[in-house]
Amino acid sequence: MQEYLKMEREQAWRIELRNQIKNKERTALPRVKMPEMDPQERICYQDREVNLGLDVENARREASRCMDCVNPTCIEGCPVSINIPKFVKNIERGEFLEAAKTLKETSALPAVCGRVCPQEKQCEASCFYTLKLKKDPVAIGYLERFAADYERESGQISVPEVAPKNGMKVAAIGSGPASLAFAGDMIKLGYEVTVFEALHEIGGVLKYGIPEFRLPNHIVDVELDNLKKMGVRFERNFIVGRTATFEDLKEEGYCAFFVASGAGLPRFMNIPGENYNGILSSNEYLTRVNLMNAANDEFDTPVLKGKNVAVVGGGNTAMDSVRTAKRLGAARAMIIYRRSREEMPARVEEVHHAEEEGIEFINLANPVEYFADEKGRVNRMRIQRMELGEPDASGRRRPVVVEGSETDIDVDVVVVAIGVSPNPLIPSALPELKVSRWGTIEVDPESMQSSIPELFAGGDIVRGGATVILAMGDGRRAAAGMHRYLTESK
Amino acid sequence: MNQIIKTEQFSENVVKLVVHAPRIARARKPGHFIILRIDEKGERIPLTIAGADEKAGTITLVAQKVGVSSQRLCELQPGDEILDMVGPLGRATEIHNVGTVLACGGGVGVAPLLPIVEGFKKAGNRVISILAARSKDLIILEDEIRKWSDEVIIMTDDGSYGRKGLVTAGAEEVILREKVDECVAIGPAVMMKFTALLTKKYDIPTQASLNAIMVDGTGMCGACRVTVGGETKFTCVDGPEFDAHQIDFDELLLRLGGYKQDEVDAFERYLSTQK
Amino acid sequence: MANLSTRFFGLELKSPVVAASCSMTGNLDQIRKIAQAGAGAVVLKSLFEEEIYVQLQEELNERKELAADPEYLDYFDYVIKEENLNKYISLIREAKSEVDIPVVASVSCISSSEWTLFARKLQDAGADAIELNLFIIPSNLDKNHEANEQFYFETVKKVLEVVTIPVTIKISPYFSNLGRVIKDMSATGIAGITLFNRFYSPDIDIEKGSLISADVFSSEKEYLQPLRWTGIMAPNADCPLAATTGIHNAETALKMLLAGASAVQVASVLYQEGISAISKINEGIARWMDTKKYGSITDFKGKLSIQADHAVAYERFQFMTYFGGKGF
Repeated sequence: MQEYLKMEREQAWRIELRNQIKNKERTALPRVKMPEMDPQERICYQDREVNLGLDVENARREASRCMDCVNPTCIEGCPVSINIPKFVKNIERGEFLEAAKTLKETSALPAVCGRVCPQEKQCEASCFYTLKLKKDPVAIGYLERFAADYERESGQISVPEVAPKNGMKVAAIGSGPASLAFAGDMIKLGYEVTVFEALHEIGGVLKYGIPEFRLPNHIVDVELDNLKKMGVRFERNFIVGRTATFEDLKEEGYCAFFVASGAGLPRFMNIPGENYNGILSSNEYLTRVNLMNAANDEFDTPVLKGKNVAVVGGGNTAMDSVRTAKRLGAARAMIIYRRSREEMPARVEEVHHAEEEGIEFINLANPVEYFADEKGRVNRMRIQRMELGEPDASGRRRPVVVEGSETDIDVDVVVVAIGVSPNPLIPSALPELKVSRWGTIEVDPESMQSSIPELFAGGDIVRGGATVILAMGDGRRAAAGMHRYLTESK
Repeated sequence: MNQIIKTEQFSENVVKLVVHAPRIARARKPGHFIILRIDEKGERIPLTIAGADEKAGTITLVAQKVGVSSQRLCELQPGDEILDMVGPLGRATEIHNVGTVLACGGGVGVAPLLPIVEGFKKAGNRVISILAARSKDLIILEDEIRKWSDEVIIMTDDGSYGRKGLVTAGAEEVILREKVDECVAIGPAVMMKFTALLTKKYDIPTQASLNAIMVDGTGMCGACRVTVGGETKFTCVDGPEFDAHQIDFDELLLRLGGYKQDEVDAFERYLSTQK
Repeated sequence: MANLSTRFFGLELKSPVVAASCSMTGNLDQIRKIAQAGAGAVVLKSLFEEEIYVQLQEELNERKELAADPEYLDYFDYVIKEENLNKYISLIREAKSEVDIPVVASVSCISSSEWTLFARKLQDAGADAIELNLFIIPSNLDKNHEANEQFYFETVKKVLEVVTIPVTIKISPYFSNLGRVIKDMSATGIAGITLFNRFYSPDIDIEKGSLISADVFSSEKEYLQPLRWTGIMAPNADCPLAATTGIHNAETALKMLLAGASAVQVASVLYQEGISAISKINEGIARWMDTKKYGSITDFKGKLSIQADHAVAYERFQFMTYFGGKGF
């Protein structure tokens, strides 16, 4: 791997590019700003993207900030090991389609990752600018998005090369990022790959979870089309273990399975009044709006539109929910989070966008009880003040209750976004499968192989919760692990 | 995919649909349900499977007009296709030989009850079925239920068929007359609530099958949560059947009203476009 | 034969000997044996607020490889809480279906926050009563006695608001004005107070020069403190009292009853002598009652409390008069 990177770096064009501009000049350039739709305007649309993307000129200038380091630490920060300097330098020299191709060497979903990855905790956190210069990192995420968007809009979408078919059939269960990354790698290796999806729509969390203002569906569809062109088959409305058993599928010729069935049961807090109407999980709220188009009157599925909407939680799901509420017309859209802003697990950019859109942040507060009108519809929530105590094992300070600090807030919709438990469908269909106390499938962390040799797993069903990119990393490792297993056992 | 083979109008608002779905027909067991979406704009609707013909590759569904999507579902004709259908979902009914089983079905609840009645009969039980509805034309699947029951009691609110009275009146009479070992109740939540109260009084284990609001049906959205014995359960993956004596029916009744106003609005919008 | 029935936890108990909350009462098999041995009631092993935090730390430490998104772990304490609560609910249900003596749920909390609201779930699960095991070791120098006492009263108030089954409380002796606190507490509407909680104590190993844990079991001699306070408070409290700590035999149990306790809670002796200790204590009480011609517990309960001429004895704290040769 190191050798390969070095070889690429020593290509003539890279050397030439490096010599064109002095490092001092590169580092003197400020980081590019992402053009955004005006907050007041964008909150009127559920399906218009906030970030507008870089133009050619800005993208090239930003790419020129990258110093093409001898030791590209940024790659270590990427769970799917994208060759970051290579794609960035391709942008700098104007070879945008080459940049896109570079992304696709290791990532099945570059346009998605460019939009939803927490770059500030990954590649950009490991950028030379961050580590050594204490300056704003190269905007790797923006550039990734730029390259992928450029390719898509150019109409000249490259389809990665696929090895000749090896005659073996494998199945991926679930069609979220882990499965898509897995399918992309396996199809390249010559396997026949079928992706089974329980819902009527392919894409998993990319479709039902992440709202269109952050990740438009048509962008996901293009990436899915690409996989279809490579030969991946998709079966919708199919629950493995139910619609057909694993045994049935084995009889149909599938020799190995990758389980990435994702998140399941939404978690609640178990506090009084939580089952009143108007209190729902972020999964339900986002699914109604994103998957079922509930915000559109043309569609049959309803969604509760609240005037005073409180969203409990501090992650991306909470931000997505609260910003959706604002777009559905909430006068007050509030985040209720029991720690401070600094501890929020959400992407920094999402918190920032939420603030611009007029989302209220009620930090260091936690709900303790809900109240309802005579029809059982929530109308008030009681919150309790928190203060931060000692750091816990994750290094974050633990929220501690301030006794006697309860106050009430008027609400008509509450979205609980405090996480999900792994989906129980697959483990319940396979009693011999080893699962943890919390219902996650136990796997070898290198090969992603489970206690059933022909069954591999990744994403939320293994980690409990995974970001899109972590899930994709799992999918790639599982593909490598399964390939090894199938070639060795032949 | 999912082609409609046959339809039968049970009453003004209730339609039986036989749908081609070979995989589901093969895999389903009594108590299982499916989720369907008739077209791009449709809601995901959960429906319990009322029967299946494995050879023909069909399943039987009974749909009732309650909202826009179900209204449109009831209007489908043989040859039409349902865009999406997934299943079988939920836990199958635990069927065993217990002795005498009292099966209570209210309204369209008789449809999901049918395979359960059949199952219990085949397992060697004495099965007494009580079918209840507001009036005669709302009593469905009587012949099919009769086929698998040792006795059938019909109760109507208005006395237009069978005996006048609620399902509980018929049930109590049976309980007082002979030893009942288990009870199954499927129907409107109110009907199940009162059946459960009755059988609790006589200490008869009772299962109720819930028709909660669902979106995905695969354990993801939590819309179908229900309190059973103080614990929050998800109807789609933990149910749809639960120990009726442990279910918090009052909460369930409130929750079922949750989207009523929105549904009424959507329904009115739909009707106005039809004119 | 003597009638051993009494009232505590707001319930009729067939014996004043109650199995106290301990790890044994978290096990269905042992609960069954406790009932067979003739206990008046069983207080289930506590549901500990503190334990949730410890389990969370373990979970956070375990996940190094295949780490989760921080969003997943952000509220993981709720998952652990729910799991513990669900286990406890099943324990209550199973215990209720297994034994015919009252099953008392025990909640051990160090804050009066939403934790107390779980009391409702324990009631729904079928618990006959709830015992609140409240403790603050008053070593936080930022809080005065009032703040500490406030916590006890707040918690009791909140729990009483959410449940309809009887609620009792088990407290420690660490109050600056213990008598008055017990008196005020007894008037809050609770169904009983148990004196006293016995904390795990540190000890010192002088050879190794290190801190060690003191014996986790009580000894027979430890009953004197609860005896004194039962004797002082029984006639003055608005609710029944129970005694615990150091009750290992019928003699001590009888002393507590004579001092005014309505019941006694035993734990250490169950570990040291086995569950049959309960039947031995019952038999001992009955034998003594027969000998003394008492038909029921009420015939002698509180006979030797602070009432009448016994005040001096309970309140004497100097040894002088004792050594002066005047007994009481």
